[in-house]
Amino acid sequence: MNRNMNRALIGLSLAVALLLPFTLASGYHLRLANLVGIYLLLVLGLNFVLGYTGLLSFAQVGFFAIGAYTSAILTTDYGFGFWVGLCAAAGAAGLASVIIGEPVLKLRGHYFVFATFVLGEIARLVAMNWDDVTHGASGLSGIPAPTIGGFSFDTDLSFYYIVLAFVLAGIFVSARIEKSKIGRALFAIRESEIAAEAMGIRTRQAKQLAFTLSAVFAGVAGALYGPLNTVISPDVFSFDVSVIVLVSLLLGGTGTIPGAIIGTILITLLPEWLRFLNEYYMMIYGAGIVLLMGFLPKGMMGVLENIRLGKAKKRARPRLDPPGETRRTDRQPGA
Amino acid sequence: MEQLIFNGLTMGCIYALIAFGFILIYNAVGAVNFAQGDLVMVGSYLGILGISYWGLGLLSTMLLVIVGSAAYGYVFQRLAYYPLRDKPTITVVISCLGAGIFMKNGMQVIAGPEPLTMRGFFEQETIQLATLQVPTQSAVIIVLTILLFAIQYWFFFGTALGRRLRATANDKYAARLTGIRVRRMIALAFVISCLLAGIAGFILVPIFLASPSMGFGLVVKAWIGVVIGGFGSVPGAIVGGLIVGLLETFAASYISSAYKDVITMLVLLAVLFLRPQGIFSEAIQEKV
Repeated sequence: MNRNMNRALIGLSLAVALLLPFTLASGYHLRLANLVGIYLLLVLGLNFVLGYTGLLSFAQVGFFAIGAYTSAILTTDYGFGFWVGLCAAAGAAGLASVIIGEPVLKLRGHYFVFATFVLGEIARLVAMNWDDVTHGASGLSGIPAPTIGGFSFDTDLSFYYIVLAFVLAGIFVSARIEKSKIGRALFAIRESEIAAEAMGIRTRQAKQLAFTLSAVFAGVAGALYGPLNTVISPDVFSFDVSVIVLVSLLLGGTGTIPGAIIGTILITLLPEWLRFLNEYYMMIYGAGIVLLMGFLPKGMMGVLENIRLGKAKKRARPRLDPPGETRRTDRQPGA
Repeated sequence: MEQLIFNGLTMGCIYALIAFGFILIYNAVGAVNFAQGDLVMVGSYLGILGISYWGLGLLSTMLLVIVGSAAYGYVFQRLAYYPLRDKPTITVVISCLGAGIFMKNGMQVIAGPEPLTMRGFFEQETIQLATLQVPTQSAVIIVLTILLFAIQYWFFFGTALGRRLRATANDKYAARLTGIRVRRMIALAFVISCLLAGIAGFILVPIFLASPSMGFGLVVKAWIGVVIGGFGSVPGAIVGGLIVGLLETFAASYISSAYKDVITMLVLLAVLFLRPQGIFSEAIQEKV
């Protein structure tokens, strides 16, 4: 794709995003659009860790919870404004990622997956049980909408533009990092951590940076989620959120920003389109994940690429492994 | 105190069975099976189907669970693992995750979301053991677990098939070179793993509510056991499972029942940070 076409596409998407609320008939669809934006921030965050660095992390929901609770507690119980809550949410999530990143990022392979998974669960359990601060299972309600100079963004329509602003900022940050020296360092780690280290990349710092970026994105998403829903409770922050975020990224295509966008939109809208499936939807969703792994390892971006390259040229392209663990040999430790 | 130890050991046995099955798959294909808990759930429902719906006796239900789980395990590996066998491990991990979601929600469609239970396997509720009142179901679980592990030990160390399985887990290329049918061995590992999960699910029902979403909590505990014991190590999985069972029972009664899961998870994190190789140390460097 040449540069001009790229620009045209970006401009077109931006125009669609800006005008979208006026084409949506109901407030429900508008809410859904806001939800897509919030999930997109989570997915873009995961993209730093899984897509660029190749680490499968389930901690995203934990940072999401930390962000949501930090801002909700500050805005409801302590009467701070939305913006203070948002900054605190991003800061708290970022700080948490630095504290737990120190030991967790030393772990490799399955150990890392486990540790991040457990951290996500601990965040939910603490939110559930720390009654004095988080109000336990009933959660926090009456989370105020953001205001700028007296104008309150309390409708879904006005809130859409707040979410959109953060999503655009998130995409911009992702795109800049992807093109930067740091981004290339992360790609190098994804392909081979040992080789990256041998090239002089400070792998610990680079991984920490990716992890913290993902946490800050999730923290911001959490701060936005509160006002959208006006209520948060621990059951929102279950393992399912991590799975949805992961599947969105995989469906779109890991390691690509357009993939993250396409995947998130599809995964959020699929339940709407497939409403006729009723209770079978979640079954199909599970089976879909299995099929996705088998048939579309590079997600929708892989499909688009194949269409673009055409069948004739397809053979010439060397196939890259999907990011993740390096292709293992069959050798096992122990029996 | 003795009562607590017994309750802890009972859950510990269940975790050990699940953890052992988990390790079998891990050693065979190198992937963390996110669906292990859902395989346990299928076993529970097979048991309920046999006893409560078909009115079968205990032994015939056990047979149903064994055959059903084994068949289920074969189908599971055929659909969720086999097509991805040449792909990076991470795709198998995610595929298993998807398969687990499928099973959980499939069962919800079939049996409904309400938790089900059944009465204990025997009329008598407790048995007297010296000065101790032991709940019969706990005794059943502990005895059956010991029996199952004894059978497994005999199978893996006393039969030619078991030796082939161990060889496959150890080094697939070398195993193939010596003429072992590696793919079949992997399928067999899945079947045995599923079978153990199914039996664990069945014997668990009388003391634990069965619901389509029961697997998640169980598999998390089993994982914690696996990590505490040492990833990939079979004795580690057993000891780790028992430790987790005892730990959570004691944490619930002495510290706080609300925080018992947090406490077990914190112990896991402590193990990961201080001694990531677990009790029965295994080499943990990343395979390149």
